[in-house]
Amino acid sequence: MISFLAQMLEYWPQVLSGLGNTLLLAAVISVTGLVGGVVVFYLAISGGPLRRRLTEGYISFFIGTPLIVLLFLMYYGLPQWGPKLTPFTVAVIGFTLNVAAYNARYLMTAFRGLDPDELQAARAQGFSDMQVFQLVILPQVMRLSVPALTNQVILNLKDSSIAFLIQYAEFFAQMQDLAIRSFRFLDAYLVAGAVYLALVSVVVVAARWLERRYVLPGVRRAR
Amino acid sequence: MSFLQILLQLTGGVGYTIMVTVACSLTGVVVGLGVAMLSRLGASWLSAVLGAFTFIFRAVPVLVLLFIVFFGLPNAGLRVPPLVAMMLSLGVIAGAYLAEVFRGAFDSVDASEVLAAEAMGLSRFQILRLIEIPQMLRFAVPGMINEFTTVLKYSPFAYTVGIPDVMKEAMSLSATTLRGVEIYLAVGIIYFLIYKLLVTGVWALEKRTRIPGLTG
Amino acid sequence: MTLLSVQDLKLEYDGRTILDGVSFDLAQGELKVIMGPSGSGKSTLLRCLNRLTMPNGGRVVFEGRDVLGPDVDERALRQRIGFVFQNFALYRHLTALQNVTLALRHLRRMPAAEADERALRQLARMDMQAHAHKYPAQLSGGQKQRVAIARALAMDPAVLFFDEPTSALDPLMSREVVNILHQLRDERVSMLCVTHDLYLARAAGGRVMFLDQGRIHAEGEVDELFGPNADPRIRAFFHQELQQAQAAQPISPAQPISPAQPMDGAQPVDPSGPAGSPER
Ligand SMILES: Nc1ncnc2c1ncn2[C@@H]1O[C@H](COP(=O)(O)OP(=O)(O)O)[C@@H](O)[C@H]1O
Ligand SMILES: [Mg+2]
Repeated sequence: MISFLAQMLEYWPQVLSGLGNTLLLAAVISVTGLVGGVVVFYLAISGGPLRRRLTEGYISFFIGTPLIVLLFLMYYGLPQWGPKLTPFTVAVIGFTLNVAAYNARYLMTAFRGLDPDELQAARAQGFSDMQVFQLVILPQVMRLSVPALTNQVILNLKDSSIAFLIQYAEFFAQMQDLAIRSFRFLDAYLVAGAVYLALVSVVVVAARWLERRYVLPGVRRAR
Repeated sequence: MSFLQILLQLTGGVGYTIMVTVACSLTGVVVGLGVAMLSRLGASWLSAVLGAFTFIFRAVPVLVLLFIVFFGLPNAGLRVPPLVAMMLSLGVIAGAYLAEVFRGAFDSVDASEVLAAEAMGLSRFQILRLIEIPQMLRFAVPGMINEFTTVLKYSPFAYTVGIPDVMKEAMSLSATTLRGVEIYLAVGIIYFLIYKLLVTGVWALEKRTRIPGLTG
Repeated sequence: MTLLSVQDLKLEYDGRTILDGVSFDLAQGELKVIMGPSGSGKSTLLRCLNRLTMPNGGRVVFEGRDVLGPDVDERALRQRIGFVFQNFALYRHLTALQNVTLALRHLRRMPAAEADERALRQLARMDMQAHAHKYPAQLSGGQKQRVAIARALAMDPAVLFFDEPTSALDPLMSREVVNILHQLRDERVSMLCVTHDLYLARAAGGRVMFLDQGRIHAEGEVDELFGPNADPRIRAFFHQELQQAQAAQPISPAQPISPAQPMDGAQPVDPSGPAGSPER
């Protein structure tokens, strides 16, 4: 293990850039996935029954199919028709569609727990539907969903390793490279596992802080 | 080659996909039940150890653990067959998540019923077996469905260790036909159908064993 | 003959004294009521008697044997004591019948058919055989109470403990509980009943003890305890309970409840009692 770590030090810039790419992808999809989730959530609750069915179908389809299939479709399939997207672009599009479905579902769950009278009251005061959404629904639903949403960030961080299967040079891909060069597979993968453990621990601590700060007092947690 | 032909071609891998999903889900239930039961019955140091176990296995990506088990362990002289490698990675990680699901479901069991069972003279183990587990499993159904779905969605990693599941079939097919879009679309539809089947099946099972007034 | 003898029972919890030297005897076939305000230690006292909680001091002798000793077979002891909990504590995943057979099957190791037959007899004794296959959620409060009693009786216990048997019931159903207590008393079942319900304490018709702040302050027949010469603590408690009762619901003039005028024990069975529609 010691000698492996020494070897790793030799390839330090490569490992570091991989780590940077992992964090970049995780950060980008956490943001786009959250924005996408809010949009899907809005579409689901604001339109007529047809739109609700469609958005629910979207959520259900992306929750029910593996992300890797979508990534392979775009990365290995699409070039047959022309556009050859970069691994990063493919990863961002694929993850966003997927993560948005999950986030929308958390928000829907929280929404079902809201007091309907409260929404009625807001409408009775003369607020428009969009205002009710922005001022009454979203702030509550977001806060109720803090634990689920932060948990999704952890999933994003871990799942970003899947992007290595479409040649994105993220952290696990670099460790894989190192493993093959050194023939120290066990050491390389164990170190990779330890790094993910450390990264996740940081997010967990941050999430706890966020929860303490933003969870509404006296309100049940969304689950 | 029509879309239908592609679909038919891919169904050869469905058996393996289901096998991997079921094997890993069962591993997860066994590990999750073991952990949740031990931390409910055991001493506080044991719960601390089990808490660390669940934290670690929920923090490591499935792919990384799979590679540790399948490609890494041979460095330590341990060769693991592909399906077992899936069970030891995806299955154990599912177990860590299910342990949390079961722990929460155990907490939903009414403390006064446990006390009444104690007052009756039942042993701690009898209380677990006769009162707590039958109720807990029913409370845990939604969480279990979530976790089984997750297992299904990570099951394509099986192709990386050479299991000829739907994903593997799709990859070889797309290599020979260069019709990736249709093929992976078909794969997506197949997984979605398996997912629907799984969810419907578990809820049907739940309905058959449902007890009035116990769950929602 | 003394069935249960409690001497100088003491319990501290986090430096707070919960039981402060409780002593009393329960004779074979006797019904005894322990009355006291909420938080006076009634539930804790019952739990100390079958070792669900271990007291810090004192002696408990049950059927001639020391209960608190180091090598007591706890589970055997508990099987001799039927416990009816405040909120009934029926197992929600089991039918009424299964609630009653559980201990017979798994503690007595009785074959299923025999356990069912015996359980049905106990349910019939509580007039609940028609509801044997319902789940707790499908029963009204009074019906649950009857199943809980049948469950306790099925093991042929030497004594029945009741913890606040009326607190989760409405007044009509409370009267039903009194009828059940009388029925069991007539069958010479030994019973210890703990309650803060004045109506129950008086109507049950046994000797009554008054527990407050972990001590028994008075013991006697109903009339002495509630009469004009009552202990001032009892009067104070009485006064408070009465005010609460009046605030909660007007008391019908046909059934005055007042300290000066003790009420008859037995009440007519109300036809709309527990057999009526389940609460939902
Ligand atoms: N598990 C416990 N932990 C801390 N305090 C307790 C516990 N059980 C009972 N107590 C305390 O003991 C006192 C008596 O409680 P209890 O026996 O439940 O009273 P009662 O049944 O007469 O209402 C109360 O002050 C209560 O706060
Ligand atoms: Mg009490």
